[in-house]
Amino acid sequence: MAKDKKSVGDKDGKKFSRRDFLVVGGTALAGGALAGYPAKTTATEKENEYAPSTAYLVYDSKHCAGCYSCMLACSLVHEGETNLSLSRIQVHRAVLKKYPFDIEINVCRQCPVPLCVENCPTGACHISVENGNIRMIDSEKCIGCRTCIESCPYIPHRPIWNPVTEKAMKCDLCTDAPYYNKQGGVNGTQACVEACVANALKVVRELPDQTDISGYDRDLQPPRKAMPGFPFGPPKAKSKSETSPDTL
Amino acid sequence: MATPGFAGKILLVNLTNKEIRALDTEKYEQYGGGQGTGTALFWEYCVVPGDWDLQDAFHPKNMVALMTGAVSGTGVPRGARTSVSGLSPQCYPIQWFGHSNFGGMFSTFLKMAGWDGVAVIGRAESPVYINIVDDKVTLEDAKALWGLNSWECQEEIWKRSGIRYGQEWQEIDGRYTLQRPAIVTIGPAGENMTRVASLIHGGGSGAGQGGFGGVFGSKNLKAIAVVGTKGIKIADPKGLKDIEVWYEKNWPSGPGFGGFGPPSVQSACIGCGQFRKCHNRDRAHSQDSDDCAESTFFSLMPEYGIDREAITPINQKGTDIVQQLGINAMETCFMGPMSFDTDHNPDFPIQPKVPAYTALGWYMKKMYDMGVIGPGTKYDMAPLNMKDFATQEFMEIYGLALAKRYGIGDLLAEGTARFAEKLGRTDDFNTLCRLTMWGYQDHWSMPGVDWAYGNLMDSRDINSHDMSFGNPSGGFGGFGGGGKEWTCEDFVKVQAERTTYNDPFWFDFSWEGKQAYKTGVFSKHKAEFVAWRMHYWTYYKESVGFCDWGYAQLFSRSHPKGYGHTPEAEPRYLNAVTGRNHTFEDGLEIGRRAWNLKRAIFTLQGRHKQMENFAGYMYRPGASYCGFSPELPIYDGKKWEWQNCRELFLTREGVDQWKTHFYDIEGWDKDTGYPKRRTLEKLGMKHVADFLKSKNKLG
Repeated sequence: MAKDKKSVGDKDGKKFSRRDFLVVGGTALAGGALAGYPAKTTATEKENEYAPSTAYLVYDSKHCAGCYSCMLACSLVHEGETNLSLSRIQVHRAVLKKYPFDIEINVCRQCPVPLCVENCPTGACHISVENGNIRMIDSEKCIGCRTCIESCPYIPHRPIWNPVTEKAMKCDLCTDAPYYNKQGGVNGTQACVEACVANALKVVRELPDQTDISGYDRDLQPPRKAMPGFPFGPPKAKSKSETSPDTL
Repeated sequence: MATPGFAGKILLVNLTNKEIRALDTEKYEQYGGGQGTGTALFWEYCVVPGDWDLQDAFHPKNMVALMTGAVSGTGVPRGARTSVSGLSPQCYPIQWFGHSNFGGMFSTFLKMAGWDGVAVIGRAESPVYINIVDDKVTLEDAKALWGLNSWECQEEIWKRSGIRYGQEWQEIDGRYTLQRPAIVTIGPAGENMTRVASLIHGGGSGAGQGGFGGVFGSKNLKAIAVVGTKGIKIADPKGLKDIEVWYEKNWPSGPGFGGFGPPSVQSACIGCGQFRKCHNRDRAHSQDSDDCAESTFFSLMPEYGIDREAITPINQKGTDIVQQLGINAMETCFMGPMSFDTDHNPDFPIQPKVPAYTALGWYMKKMYDMGVIGPGTKYDMAPLNMKDFATQEFMEIYGLALAKRYGIGDLLAEGTARFAEKLGRTDDFNTLCRLTMWGYQDHWSMPGVDWAYGNLMDSRDINSHDMSFGNPSGGFGGFGGGGKEWTCEDFVKVQAERTTYNDPFWFDFSWEGKQAYKTGVFSKHKAEFVAWRMHYWTYYKESVGFCDWGYAQLFSRSHPKGYGHTPEAEPRYLNAVTGRNHTFEDGLEIGRRAWNLKRAIFTLQGRHKQMENFAGYMYRPGASYCGFSPELPIYDGKKWEWQNCRELFLTREGVDQWKTHFYDIEGWDKDTGYPKRRTLEKLGMKHVADFLKSKNKLG
């Protein structure tokens, strides 16, 4: 069935230059990205047009340690340098906010209806059939028009801008990570997941619930063992007052 | 072209004339980054001009340098420390060149803005903060921030930008970031130039030792804020990532350590990679709260019915207060994290509870109880009401009085040593107070004498938890506890092998009789080990940026042979980042260079062999009562055995012998402790030798 669905975003086979897009691109944005779906098209109909990704990166913001190791690992394996601005997963830590509002994690959702793919004028942003239907950007085809960035319906946008190459980038689950010695992608490992020692990142196969953020932001923790207290022995159990949501 | 791992530039800000300069990092790389670079900058900009006497940390010509290391921001686990250095107002009796460090995000953000460090000299006319946004550096008016506590100050700086951090991509010269600036700031304790003032970053990262918060205050510098959008070049990105696999294979993740109190959701410094529960996200009392020193500020007072293991409301509030006011908790607390029941030595002056720290709060209470201060004396306790002692209200007023120099707080703000001096009670340094020789609280230095020797040769509590040589089968020692039984001999062999020098007597803690001089605590072997340890500490931890809770590690229970990750992990990580081909020993040599440069500064400040003596308590029974890892390796001339060394104490003759060995190993004059020309020239520091010669301070 997948082959009947859109597998590449190279619309009608037409090749667009950056200049072409600057002329016509605004229409696509106004009609598509801002509304979510083009008029007279239901969500289900739109979803049926795109092969669903076979893997999704989910996270556990309540147990993330805010160490940014995932971001450093992402930029390292993709760009060969550590660079928070070039990480395709974005963690933001507001250290003085109360838990759990102190950490926000933003990952590409591999959307069922990928507006980044839908609106890409050159097909650079595409669904990669050979890589498990991940939504990927082909940097060879990318003309740097930023349509995918601007089409992303989530705040902050998940595709990011590389100011050196002047092209857009997005999470590919490490399918194309030139500085990664392991096999990435849907059947491989991901640098961010590997780097996370808080067990706060995981790749799952089933499509997360799209209703709200909870489909992606989940409790990923194994049953926890009490840590040995330092240096006095096992810690005591939490008192009621310490666990009450009122006190957090 | 900067070496990979380094940003390539160091920011030098003169607050007096508002000059902002970029220095090439490359010139200072031979000192290793971090503290080594800070020391070299201090030498160049504060010593060589020769226009002040290097005695007053609050002098505008003092420098406070915040420096990063090669691994900061590279994702190398436990490598996020920011080094702080300059003359230290807390040091006693001389305000030695000192240093501290803190974790969190600052070092990474600084490098991602394109800077390996920021060094500040001079004094602004009115309060300012330094705002760094990539290459753009400005001095911003901080008059409205003066008086805010450390959390309020950070919130206000973030608010000023008008940016919705985390939601809105900020464009900076065509590059983008979601991040809010990392800010290091001072609270009222720093503004009022107390000698126990910390630098605070985020909720609970702080540079406590040294009193550098007061140095910021003396410069009218409220904060440094930085955000960057650049990357850090990595010489071998694939290799760096592959080290993860190598590491996990050899040292599979263990349970780590807990912190105080109940389990919690941990937070960590950037790239930590292995958590020690230093910080927590979900404590009821504060955000990103520290679970170690800060939480001890007022909680651990069992004789007052406050449970030292619990997170009590007073403890929670105390943790907040020290961070908000920017006070060094460890120096100002009331008991410290441990006290010990003892009846070993009835002559020991503090009975029956021996506190690990005779910190400022504890000492003040002791003086009050003894009638030295308070009613009937010339020292009024206002605004403290001692009848309310052990209440939250008392603790809050104590913190405020100290930070703002209200009433008795003005005396307390000078720190324990100067407070005692003001009371005319310097004899307490030999009896009541467990202060190290330079005015700091004793930490865990005894019976692990190498820690104590490190304190003596440096200018602070070296705060070096990594080398605890207690029995790993039963206690905390060797980053262990439980598991396989290790014979003493096998344990020592592993440690010795991992130093690469393979001398088991480095780990002999024999302290009585001839053996103490032959292979034990007064021997040449111990002096060699302390030299190794200080070179390691100066480079790998204080300059490269490795965290004390991860490095060094000579022994590990998680490795089948008991091997710790030292000496393999350090050069592996560093070489992958920098592209160098340094050996472990190359790093030690860089550490030796920076260590000797610091020694030259000490020498110019007045350091002499005759000054390098422990406080009196170290020479009498009871010196080691507070050690948390008392079961140590002892070689009796024939065999190795674990022995409880809680009775260990030193002798003046023995320490004098040890110093002679140590100076000889370091290439310092045996009578003065001054560095010799040959030593400095071998380290490529002829200019330092020439300068010392010109001041008649060359050994």
